[in-house]
Amino acid sequence: MAATVATVRRPERTLATRIYLIEVFRGLVVTTRHLLVNLYRHARRALGLGGPAGAVTIQYPEDPARLGARARTRHRLLKRDDGSPRCTACLLCETICPARCIRITAEDSPVEVVEKRAKTFQIDLGLCVFCGYCAEACPVDAIHMDANKVELSTYTRADLIWDMAELMDDKPKRPSLPSLHP
Amino acid sequence: MTAKRVTFKLNGVTLEAPEGQLVIEAAKAAGVEIPHYCYHPALGNPGNCRLCVVEVAGAPKPMVSCRTQVREGLEVYTDSEPARRAQASSLELHLVNHPLDCPVCDQSGECGLQDYYMKFGRYDSQVREAKEHKRKRLEIGPHVMLDQERCVLCTRCTRFTEKITKTSELGIFGRGHKEFVDLAPGQRLDNAYSGNTVDLCPVGALTDKDFRFKVRVWYLDQTPSICADCSRGCNVSLHTNTKRPWHDEGRRLARVKPRHNPEVNQWWLCDEGRYGFKKFDEDRLGRVMRLIPYRRELAWETALDELASELRRELEALGPEGLAVVASGALSNEDWAAFKAFFVDALGCKRFLFAPQPDQLGIEDDLLRRKEKVPNLEGGKALGFGSAVASLSWERLEADLEAGKIWGLYLIERDAARFWGAKASALLSKPRLVVWQGPWKGRTGELAHFRLPATAHIEEDGHFTNFEGRIQAYQKALEPLGQARPDWSIFEGLRQRLGAAQKAAR
Amino acid sequence: MIGQTVWTAVKVALALGFGMNMAGLLAWLERKQSAISQDRIGANRAAILGVSAWGLFNQIADALKGLTKENWVPPQGRPRLHALAPAISLGFSLFCLSALPFGGVVHVAGRLWSLQPLESSFGLPLVLCFLSLGVHGVVMAGYASGSNYGLLGGLRAAAQMISYEVCLAVSLAGCAFIYGTLDLQQAVLWQGRLLGGWLPAWGIVVQPAAFLLFLAAGAAVTKRAPFDVPEGESEIVGYFVEYSGMKFLMFLITDFIESIVIAGLIVTLFLGGWQIPWVTLTGALGGVLMLAAFSAKLLLVLLLLMQIRWTLPRFRFDQVLDLGWKNILPLAMLNFIVTVWGVLLWRLR
Repeated sequence: MAATVATVRRPERTLATRIYLIEVFRGLVVTTRHLLVNLYRHARRALGLGGPAGAVTIQYPEDPARLGARARTRHRLLKRDDGSPRCTACLLCETICPARCIRITAEDSPVEVVEKRAKTFQIDLGLCVFCGYCAEACPVDAIHMDANKVELSTYTRADLIWDMAELMDDKPKRPSLPSLHP
Repeated sequence: MTAKRVTFKLNGVTLEAPEGQLVIEAAKAAGVEIPHYCYHPALGNPGNCRLCVVEVAGAPKPMVSCRTQVREGLEVYTDSEPARRAQASSLELHLVNHPLDCPVCDQSGECGLQDYYMKFGRYDSQVREAKEHKRKRLEIGPHVMLDQERCVLCTRCTRFTEKITKTSELGIFGRGHKEFVDLAPGQRLDNAYSGNTVDLCPVGALTDKDFRFKVRVWYLDQTPSICADCSRGCNVSLHTNTKRPWHDEGRRLARVKPRHNPEVNQWWLCDEGRYGFKKFDEDRLGRVMRLIPYRRELAWETALDELASELRRELEALGPEGLAVVASGALSNEDWAAFKAFFVDALGCKRFLFAPQPDQLGIEDDLLRRKEKVPNLEGGKALGFGSAVASLSWERLEADLEAGKIWGLYLIERDAARFWGAKASALLSKPRLVVWQGPWKGRTGELAHFRLPATAHIEEDGHFTNFEGRIQAYQKALEPLGQARPDWSIFEGLRQRLGAAQKAAR
Repeated sequence: MIGQTVWTAVKVALALGFGMNMAGLLAWLERKQSAISQDRIGANRAAILGVSAWGLFNQIADALKGLTKENWVPPQGRPRLHALAPAISLGFSLFCLSALPFGGVVHVAGRLWSLQPLESSFGLPLVLCFLSLGVHGVVMAGYASGSNYGLLGGLRAAAQMISYEVCLAVSLAGCAFIYGTLDLQQAVLWQGRLLGGWLPAWGIVVQPAAFLLFLAAGAAVTKRAPFDVPEGESEIVGYFVEYSGMKFLMFLITDFIESIVIAGLIVTLFLGGWQIPWVTLTGALGGVLMLAAFSAKLLLVLLLLMQIRWTLPRFRFDQVLDLGWKNILPLAMLNFIVTVWGVLLWRLR
């Protein structure tokens, strides 16, 4: 795609804008309008009259987080139809990863056609920057960043490391427990 | 005989070359890369890969540059439109039946198909037919894996076994698109140089069993070095993986590849040298220890102080005749110099064992391998070890130990305990002072009084002198493990301490 | 005499209580006002038995948190000065409150009751003086922290506050000249007259330019946005960088109290103080109405100040000083000169 250049002209500084008082007043009009409109909407809703909401706030723990359709969340390792991991341990994701959070070791695979597979596959979410390069680089569509899980906090750094079975949802992630020595 | 020099034109540039030189070589000398698979300077030019095609003015069709000779007035174009098109077409034919399993192929990253596709190909594939499938994952020898599908039938490997090792284990079988490379009936690729076929293979058909799936080649750093497994001094390149330590079970040295040196090893490396590298990270010493009278870890300075004072005490009481030094031809020239300055000049020591005994002798052949499996006996000889200073043998040393003539034994990188076997602990308990110095612990390392960790040669800069007297430099490829120091700095540290004490005594 | 003193003490205590409660309320108001202006909800998580009272309990939670936090003094700092600094800041600003005329003098139960806590014939300079003493607390905080960032923040704050105190005083000179007094109660009484029989002679009418200048300078002296460079909570470190817990909250409260003082001055000098136009206030009911009028006006000015805060982006520090020394100060002087000549010419007419 060719880059396009748009020239944005700086608004001219007239005497009126330099005096600033008028600009202050205009700004006040905007914020005050929001204040009054939102107050009215809050009041209507409080009285049970419905209408649009007065705030865009999501009350997060009670309301679930709304993720964008293309949000990159925790990694997921995909399986073939027979249930074996798709990953062929080509290490392209490990190579591209700018945070070096992926650690794979490979071994011979019993499958005749694809002779290599991952022996271990670890992602350290404590290092991951959620850039999505790994999913982009994967030649066999084995890794996605669409687990749609954002609650990944743990009590220890070690608990942030996910192994292959956990990433494939074969095994639930061990719950993190508080540690005296994090 | 020097050939007549003629002028010819390469891509419009007038060049000079000896008459009769192959165009591909002349272009290489001029810095122009022509893609090729089958041609290899040591293995001849069968001209079967058809990849090195170039445009020759006046010729009706593209010519293979590995079989075209330079002559007066020749005009060659390697990057003209017809030449490029011909090269790309050849490449496309090579890839017709290629499985394109680059993600799982160990060659990827250093593959001739990948490299040439990016440099000379970049066409859109026109192949719609199903690919011909052949056998994969064949263990054809102790070190080499074969994948027939990936093969481009350049015949380099078969020519290597034919011309260089003269063992002819490999051959090309079948016809047309069903042609494949395989072992000759009843054979196994089990010669002492089989690893070279992996280097020669421009694609992923022959891969190292040893390196298989261990590390991706693009993780590796390369350092020029010298093989230390015999006195040939083959030029090698050390491929190290330090940035991603979880691969290859934490081994830092991932593989060893030969470096071209026409004077020493040409393009080759024997399997002993190539696959002997695993020892570099096994059984290593990283800490300075004193084991007797009781086991404790020391700082270098303390260890050298203690060792120097014990040496001084025994020397003053019993004289230098009772000190025996066992050295190894693995010392670099720098180590040898410090060794001589310390043991001969400063201590006046007379009993040395450094000549290769059965523990350091192996198979010799007329290609590369030498009988002495240590790299640098010549460096010691240059300083008089072997001529002015005679060497003991293991048997003689054993006898001296039995007779109680020896109060101190200083072993450098030579595992006496393993050689003596069951007798070892009895023999090594005789002297008052046993020092083990080396990169590895060995058995002797458990029985010594002092255990000093030294760097392996891949962890230091230095020089080896090979059996012909050729002095070759090697570079540091890895950081020393733990506290390990180069041997010369240990000798030097001891020498300075004893020297200072002697001066003070005077 | 003793009765008088007790009455004054009661009034001062009430004024201080008023200020502290206002400050707490303002903190809540500011959170909610900014949130609603910005389509948010604002703090609402502190709840007692499930009742969060629109986030009012957050104020209590904050106070509890401030009181129970560790009393931390940086090891390289000076502990006594470190503790003294917020007290000085808060104390002087609180004192200013007691000089404001919350109401006039009413005749109840056979005697006169003044609703101004501290009656003084030089109330205006008194307030200005105590307001400017607050700068000591700020510089002391930076100095006592033993931190270069804190010290720089303190000096930055001092530069700004001193600059704008000059503007503050000069912009009020015109008012004082017209009202012919430095007594705040007298100034309010002066504004009780009607111009042309219908227009209240409030300061904003007779001194409109001074009103705008004082508003700007007042916002700057109290270090409120868009003039909050001394604090710059998250971006540029301010003088209270080494403060936490209640000592930190005291600085925040100081800001609110100073805002109340500035708003009180604006109400007193420009908005007719406790006066309700066209209405004569007498008796106990009058006293209550006076307090109510004053509080209502005060609240309106505070709301305006906060709305300005949440509207304008912060000025750069050089812009802040430029505005003070090169714009507000000359304009205030010009305003004073024009006022003086205007009054003279009016008298000579």
